[in-house]
Amino acid sequence: MLFAAIPARTSRPPRYGGTLRVELGAIVASLDPATASDGTSQASAAKTQIDALIYANQNLDGTSTGTPGTGPFALSSWLPGKSATLKANDKFPQGRPFVDAIEITLGRAFRDRLLDLELNKTDLTEIPPQDARHAAERGVRLSQSPPDELLALVFSENRAISATETHPRQALSLSIDRAAIVTFLLQKTGEPTGALLPQWSSGTSFLFSTSADLPRAKELLAQIAPAPKFVLGYDSADPLEQSVAERIAVNAKEAGLMVTAVGAPPSPSTTKTDSTPDARLMRVPLRASQPAVALNRLLRDLNSYAPGIATSAALSESASPQIIYNREREILDAFRIVPLVWIPQVYGLSPRVRNWTPPGPGQTWPLADVWLDSPETNTTSPHIKDPE
Amino acid sequence: MIALLLAVGLVAAGVTIVTRRVFDQLNGQHTDAMVQQFQREFERRGQDVAHRIKAIAEEEATTRMAVDLSRPNADVSVYVHDARGVSSSHQLNFLDFVGNDGSIISSEEYPARFGYKLSWVTQPDDWAARGAFLMKVETDQGPALGLMAVSTVRVGDRDLYVVGGERLGKEFLSSLVLPADMRALLYLNLASEFQEPNLIDINGPAPDADRFQPLVEKIEADPVEQTEKISWGFDPSNAEVFKALPQVGRQKELLGVLFVGSSQRTVVSLERRIRWLALGVAAVGVLLGLLLSWWGAARVTRPVQKLVAAAREVSHGNWGSRVEVHGHDEIAQLSKSFNQMTGQLVEQREKLVQVERVAAWRELARRLAHELKNPLFPLQTTVENLQRAREQNSPQFDEVFRESTGIMLGEIDNLKAIVSRFSDFAKMPQPELAPVNLNDIARNVVKLFEAQFGAVGRPPITPELHLQENLPIIQADATLLHRAIENLILNAMDAMPAGGVLMLRTQTIEHGVSLEVSDTGSGLTPEESERIFTPYYTSKQHGSGLGLAIVQAIVADHGGRISVESESGVGTSFHLDLPSSPPHKPQVFPMVFEKKEVEA
Repeated sequence: MLFAAIPARTSRPPRYGGTLRVELGAIVASLDPATASDGTSQASAAKTQIDALIYANQNLDGTSTGTPGTGPFALSSWLPGKSATLKANDKFPQGRPFVDAIEITLGRAFRDRLLDLELNKTDLTEIPPQDARHAAERGVRLSQSPPDELLALVFSENRAISATETHPRQALSLSIDRAAIVTFLLQKTGEPTGALLPQWSSGTSFLFSTSADLPRAKELLAQIAPAPKFVLGYDSADPLEQSVAERIAVNAKEAGLMVTAVGAPPSPSTTKTDSTPDARLMRVPLRASQPAVALNRLLRDLNSYAPGIATSAALSESASPQIIYNREREILDAFRIVPLVWIPQVYGLSPRVRNWTPPGPGQTWPLADVWLDSPETNTTSPHIKDPE
Repeated sequence: MIALLLAVGLVAAGVTIVTRRVFDQLNGQHTDAMVQQFQREFERRGQDVAHRIKAIAEEEATTRMAVDLSRPNADVSVYVHDARGVSSSHQLNFLDFVGNDGSIISSEEYPARFGYKLSWVTQPDDWAARGAFLMKVETDQGPALGLMAVSTVRVGDRDLYVVGGERLGKEFLSSLVLPADMRALLYLNLASEFQEPNLIDINGPAPDADRFQPLVEKIEADPVEQTEKISWGFDPSNAEVFKALPQVGRQKELLGVLFVGSSQRTVVSLERRIRWLALGVAAVGVLLGLLLSWWGAARVTRPVQKLVAAAREVSHGNWGSRVEVHGHDEIAQLSKSFNQMTGQLVEQREKLVQVERVAAWRELARRLAHELKNPLFPLQTTVENLQRAREQNSPQFDEVFRESTGIMLGEIDNLKAIVSRFSDFAKMPQPELAPVNLNDIARNVVKLFEAQFGAVGRPPITPELHLQENLPIIQADATLLHRAIENLILNAMDAMPAGGVLMLRTQTIEHGVSLEVSDTGSGLTPEESERIFTPYYTSKQHGSGLGLAIVQAIVADHGGRISVESESGVGTSFHLDLPSSPPHKPQVFPMVFEKKEVEA
C-alpha cells in the first residue's frame, strides 16, 4: 500500500460547527432510496454514500432504507445532478455530527476537484486511484483505503466459447501482465491479483499466480485453430477501465489473440452482434471484510452480469480458509472470471479535516465523525448556490 | 470525294496526334512538377519533423527524464503518460519515449504499448544524420504510415530515444497544391495484401480503390515508377493517367505508393472538338465536292447526252438531228463531226432518194410503157386492119369490123386491168391488228392452192408444211398476211414451171415468229436478188413487179423483216420475221436499202 490511512492529526478535542465541503465527480439525479441510480456505477456509489448520510438503515448491497431524518444529516436543499446541502441532525441517536452542514457538489471534473483541493475550496473529494500518485506529487493530502475493489475480466458467455472450452480464456488470462497494469496504469495504486479476495481479507491470495506466462498462452492457443477473436467491453466513462482494456488487447496480441476493446454499456447485451462483448471489465466492490461473506456477495454481484459464474451454494460465514480457497479455485479454474487488480479508494482531504477514516468494505463515509479543525474563512463553496 | 475525306481525316488525325502529344507532354510536366512538389513537401516536412523531435529531445523535461532513467532501478511508470502531452504541444501524431533497452516508456499513438520494445531504435544508426524517413507505425487504431525521425538524449552510457513523426495521410495530401484536373492519392502499404481502405485521397478512403490493385501489385513486384491509364466507365473523358511512385522506408521496403493522376477530360474534349470540326469540314467539303462534281459532270456529260440523244434520233430515222456546239474541246469537236455526219447522211439520202425516185419513175415508165405497149400494139394493128378493110371496101368489112372492135375492147380491158393493179398498190391499207396464229394462215393459203398444185396438164408441185406446234400468237392483220403468203406462193409456183417442192416452215424466234417459204425453182441471180423487192421490177414476162413489193410493204407495216436466199439452180427461200406485237407506228422500211437483208 502506497499511502496509509490517515488518522486524526491531533489529539485535540473535536470541534463542533462548520460546513464540510465535498466535491464528487458523479452526477446523482435522485436521492430517493427507492429509486435506483440511472447513471454509472460511480453515480450509484455516490448516491449510496449520500443516502447513508440521510437514512439510518442500510441493505446488504449498501443501499439505504428508512425515512428521511433518521440518518446523521437531513437534506436541506437539493438540486438534482448539481448539489445537495445536508444539515446536521441534532436528534441522531448516535449523537449529533460535529459539522453543522455538508455541502456536496456533484459532477465536478477531477482536474477541478484537485485544483479546489489545492486552493482549499473543498474539504473532501474522491481521487481516481490512477491519479493518486500525481495528486500526491502535487502535495495533496490523501487518504487511502485498503484495496477493496476488484477489477476483473468477466466473460459473459453469450457467444464464441463453449462452457467446456477454456483454453482461449485461459490463454487470455495468461497473457495479461497485471504488474504492468498496476505499475503503469494505476501508478502503483493497487495490487495485482489472481484471486477473488484480497490478500488482507483471505490470506490466500498469494497462492493465485498473477504473473503473465506468454509461452504457455501461446502453447494453449496453438491447440486451437483458428484462434478466436474476443470483443472486450469496458465502461466508456471510466478511463481506468479503458486503459486496462487497451493494455489487455496489447498483451493478447503478443500471445496471438485478437482482442478488440470497445466501450459498452454495463449490462450484457442480449442481441448478438460483431461488437457484442464476449467479456468485459468490471469493478466489483468488496462489500464485507469477512472473507466468506465477501466472496458470497462478490459472486452475487458477478452473477448479475454473468449468470452461472458460480452455481454452488453460498459459503457459510464460518467457512474455513481452505474451503474459501477451494471455492475460489473452483470458480477461477473455469476462467470465466479473471481477477486483475485490487484497487483501494483514495480520497483527497483539506488540511482542516479531522477524524477522517477511510471506510472499510461495505462501509459508508464516516462524515458524522469528521470535524473541522478551525473556522473557515469562506465556508460556502462558490459552486453551491443557496436555495434560499 | 474519297480523296477529300481522306485528306480531312488525315489532317484531323494529325492534329489529334499532335494535340495529344502536346497534352501528354504538358501532363508529364504537370506530373513531374507534382512529384517534385510532393518530394519537396516530403523533404520540408521531414526536416520539420526532425527539427521538432530534436527540440523535444533538447527540452529540459526530456533531459530530466533521461537523467532519471539513467539511474539504477529507475521508475519508468511515472513517465507513461508523458508522450501525450508532449506530442500535443509539438503537434505530432506519433511520439514515443524509448528507453536504453528499446522498451517503450510512453507512447502517444499506442498508449497501452508501454513496456514493449522498439528494437529497431537501438540498432546502430546515426539518427541525427538520417533525418526523417517513412515508417510503418503501430497504433491502437491499427498500422499507419508515418514520416518519422529519431533523436537521442545520452546521459552517461544510456540513451533515451525520442521517436516521433507525422501521419502521412489525407492531411498530407491536402497540403499539396494540385493543378486543375489533377489529383493525388496515396496507397498505404501496411498489409501483406492489397486493402482498398488503405488507398486514400484528400477526403479519406478513395472510391473504386480496387482499380488500383493491379498497379500496386506491379509496383510491389518491381518498385519503380509506373504509368497506367485507368478508365472510369465508357466515357473516355473520365479516364485518368496515373503515375505511380513507390515510397520506401529505411530498409528500402515498400511502404506506400503515391499516385499522381491527370484527367483526360481536357484532351478528350479537345479531341472531340477536332473530330467534330473535321467532320464539319469533311461534310462541307463533301457537299462542295458533290456540287463541283455535279457541275463538272454536267459540263462534260450534257453534250455527250445530247450527242447520244441525237444519235438515237438518227437511228430512229431522224437524220436531220443536230447537236449544239459550245466551245472548242473534244466534245465540241465530236459534236461538230456528228453534225457533219448527219448533214452528209441527209444529203446522201436526199441524193439517193432522188436517184431512187428517178429510177423508180424510170422503172415505172418502162413498166407502164411495157404494159401499155402490149395492148396498144394489137390496138394499132387492129385499127390499121380496119382502116385497110374500109379503104378496100372489103365485103368482109363487117366481119372484120366486128372482129376488130372485139379485139380493141379486149385490149382496152387489159389496159383497164393494168391501171387497176397500179391503183391497188397505191391504195395499200394500214394493218388492223388482232391475235393471229400464223400456222392457221399458212394452212389456209396452201389449201387455196391445192387444186392448182395438182392441176391436170401442169407438172405437180408438192407442198410441204413444217409448222411448229404451239406457235405463239402474234398481233397482226390476218388478211394482209394471207395476201403476203399468197403472193409468195404464187411467186414460187411461177419459179417452178417444171414442178417441184414448195415448203412452208414456221418457228419461234426471239420476240416473235418466223415463216420460211422455199421453192425448188431455178433460183435468182444476185442482181435479181438485189432488186427483187423493188416495185414494178420483175423477171417474168407477165408479172407486174408488185407482188414481192406488196409482201415487203405488209411485212414492214407489221414491224417485221423480210430477206431472201437464193441459189441458181437450187431454189429460193423467203424469210419473214414478224414481231409478237408490232410497234405502234409501223417501222418505215426503206426497201431499197435493205441490201443486207436481201443479200442474206
